[in-house]
Amino acid sequence: MRARVFVTLKPSVFDPQGTTVAEGLHTLGFTAVKDVRQGKYFELDIDTATSEEAHRLASEAADKLLANPVIESYRIEVDPQAEETGR
Amino acid sequence: MKFAVVVFPGSNCDHDAYHAAKHVLGQTAEFVWHKDTSLKGADVVVLPGGFAHGDYLRTGAIARFSPIMQEVTRFAGAGGPVLGICNGFQVLLEAGLLPGAMLRNRSVKFQCEHVLIGVEHSDTPFTASCHVGQVLRLPIAHGEGNYYAEPDVVERLEANRQVVFRYVNQAGEATAGANPNGSVHNIAGLCNEARNVVGLMPHPERACELVLGSTDGLVIFESAVASVSQGTFAGIQ
Repeated sequence: MRARVFVTLKPSVFDPQGTTVAEGLHTLGFTAVKDVRQGKYFELDIDTATSEEAHRLASEAADKLLANPVIESYRIEVDPQAEETGR
Repeated sequence: MKFAVVVFPGSNCDHDAYHAAKHVLGQTAEFVWHKDTSLKGADVVVLPGGFAHGDYLRTGAIARFSPIMQEVTRFAGAGGPVLGICNGFQVLLEAGLLPGAMLRNRSVKFQCEHVLIGVEHSDTPFTASCHVGQVLRLPIAHGEGNYYAEPDVVERLEANRQVVFRYVNQAGEATAGANPNGSVHNIAGLCNEARNVVGLMPHPERACELVLGSTDGLVIFESAVASVSQGTFAGIQ
């Protein structure tokens, strides 16, 4: 199954890249876009019996490596239907 | 005395640090490959600038897993002097040897220029020969030097006198205009609670000879030599 890990800067942390992207969008006329937060996205193909176990593993991976807890937080989605090697 | 300069794949200031220690200061220096498991009896360890492991994931995030880092952590834990310069500072943060993290520069630009930093404390192995309030002119070259830590962590750093270097103006004042990257409290460098591990974003090793535009970085390496020879900050090796 596949775990999707979304890593973003914590709300309290200033995001210079997101702010720059927002300014670019405003220049293009996307005035309705009020704010942009840029982050990272990981797809983990995980070989576990249950989605709970996959979630637990992905969470541990995020805690230990994928996210830096000082500045980032993360959200995980597990897709039990996803083929392990398929895209 | 002996300097060990750790070389990660992607380090690019390793030769500068080696040159400063060996040819400018006349000390023994040795490169240590990141897959090595021994610091070869070094008295001082330098984690140099560059882009270790291509800065993949986050700056310093992968370098933390290099085999030599276990030995660096042990050396630091035993009180040995460790200096992280630029990317080396970022590695120390990711390895948890220093608190906090780096964000992209507030300007979202790679900042490459000379800046002024003020020395706040002389009781570390890398500032022992400085006087408090001394202003050093050193080059910076980084895209992610915007130091960040939670407010309570910053408060603790200040209370423990762990902010060793701050971006300042000519008068030695930490103003917003003197801050090249948006670092909280103008922090340019800090030490751990035991004061033997120091990290800074500016490059002292690139400012040890007049031909390079500044010799202000020399005092950082002279401090290490003085500290080790006086036994102030000697590791267990």
